[in-house]
Amino acid sequence: MEPIVYVLDEQVRDLLTHLTSAGTLEEGVAFGFDDWTVFHAYTEKPFTTPSGIVCPCFAVRADTAGMVDETRLTSSVRARTDLSERPAVVLVVDTHSDGTPQCRALIVSHSKMAAADTRFVPRRSELYSRNAGLLETSALAAKKVVVVGLGSGGSPVALDLARAGVGQFTLIDFDRLELGNISRHVCGINDLGRYKTLAVRDQILQKNPYASVTTMEVNINQALAPVEEAVAKCDLLIVASDNDQSRFNLNQMSLNHNRTALYGRAITRAAGGDVLRVRPWTGPCYNCVFSSGLIDGREEEMSQKRQALAVLPAYVEEDKANAMIQVGLSSDIAPIANMMVKIALLELSRGQETGISTLDEDLKADFYIWANRREEAYAAWPLMNYKWTRPSILRWYGARVERDPQCLVCGGHLKADTPLQGIVQ
Amino acid sequence: MAWTSQQSARLRLEMEILERYFPSFYLKDSIIPGRACVEGIIRSNSGAEYVVRLHVPADLPNSVPDLEIVSPFLHDRFGHSLVELGTSYPMHLLKPEGGLVRICHYSASHWNPNITFAKVLLKIRAWVEGYEGHIETGFPIDHFLPHMQA
Ligand SMILES: [Zn+2]
Repeated sequence: MEPIVYVLDEQVRDLLTHLTSAGTLEEGVAFGFDDWTVFHAYTEKPFTTPSGIVCPCFAVRADTAGMVDETRLTSSVRARTDLSERPAVVLVVDTHSDGTPQCRALIVSHSKMAAADTRFVPRRSELYSRNAGLLETSALAAKKVVVVGLGSGGSPVALDLARAGVGQFTLIDFDRLELGNISRHVCGINDLGRYKTLAVRDQILQKNPYASVTTMEVNINQALAPVEEAVAKCDLLIVASDNDQSRFNLNQMSLNHNRTALYGRAITRAAGGDVLRVRPWTGPCYNCVFSSGLIDGREEEMSQKRQALAVLPAYVEEDKANAMIQVGLSSDIAPIANMMVKIALLELSRGQETGISTLDEDLKADFYIWANRREEAYAAWPLMNYKWTRPSILRWYGARVERDPQCLVCGGHLKADTPLQGIVQ
Repeated sequence: MAWTSQQSARLRLEMEILERYFPSFYLKDSIIPGRACVEGIIRSNSGAEYVVRLHVPADLPNSVPDLEIVSPFLHDRFGHSLVELGTSYPMHLLKPEGGLVRICHYSASHWNPNITFAKVLLKIRAWVEGYEGHIETGFPIDHFLPHMQA
């Protein structure tokens, strides 16, 4: 089999605009896999963390007749770099008579030179064309989503939205990826120690290289102003953070700027979880639902010591905080993340006729409950067996929750724009 | 940074409620989020007066306000200063700050934006009775004032 070399369409176009004379070697970098049968070649810094084994890469423009002197090219590559351990990828770029870019690759080792099968990684329009039957992909590419919390819940949501073609992301989290996170996170061991925001950004770019991703490594409770600025500019706010204080703060921001928000969380050891959609001023807000008793801070899944310490009074010993860390499986988080993605796509496609429009008629409720196992809050649920007419694990239930007229956040109890001066003594 | 308009309105609401239930409380440094506090006197059944300071959180009303006893300087029944006692579960005390006793009233997992300053001060009113009960009997404060579930 001929080796395969992947190049980014846009990088070849760039190369053609600045490599004006034939024969000059431009340096890049390539990554080889599987006994040098597959290569990814880049002429500019890769936009995402690459994998594979680093190999030298050179690009050269063909002459006006579309030719290169391969013997001279090979010897100048060998003179530039030591090829005893790994081969070099040489890209020969040119334009077709119709002006479209052309690129063929050569694999040069210390002893031989071979042609490779060259393939373009296409531009955005082709990458997501297969979703077009279901989603309005061009509209999604322009949508901006803020994701707060890039842990086991937020990271798969962000990634799935990128897979669906959502084009603009702001990722907010100040945690770094630790060993204990890996089994439930979309990122792996090669991202250990990195900010979750940056590691997830790279994963998003793997799925959608043309996505625009900005990141904020801040504790939202201590950086209210910049976070609110991001919320004000988004089409949808996704909250997968791990504490109520942040959810209360984000709830206020979503109401301030009339931005729909989705809240998802798992309860202890991910025995189940819930998803809440807040349509500001038309449905219940996060605080309305919280004070209805449907959400209870004590039940929240604790996946990190920092999170446990934040809700425990200061006099609780570290042992207790450690004992509170009880995590579920990735497969228990997946249904909750998946529901968030479905509602997110529905909200982002609102106002357009798409293949998922009927879903809107089903998802009338704003609050959804899921149980993975008959334990914790779901211990008394009947067995699933063959019945489908009563509550059971592994199914979604929509709950009717009304706005709370007593809610001090959205209940209209605050007189807007009252000057403070009157109450200062 | 300044208060948002919702926060200003919320502060006004808080002060209106306090005026009804704890009329001695007034707002200090009100225009600076993170520095503003509410201060006043809580009187126990025995007639003793405690000066109480509630720090208005910068993200009002979304997090638990810190609460301290400014005066008198508190001791336990055995003559030890409560500040030196430090963090104490049986006495409902958090780590003291600036030489002042901090009281554990609501934990973060029990907080929500519907809780007003007046509700917090009601808990402090109960703590003060528990404290005087301790002075009288030697029982720790949580003998009089059970804990909320963690
Ligand atoms: Zn509300």
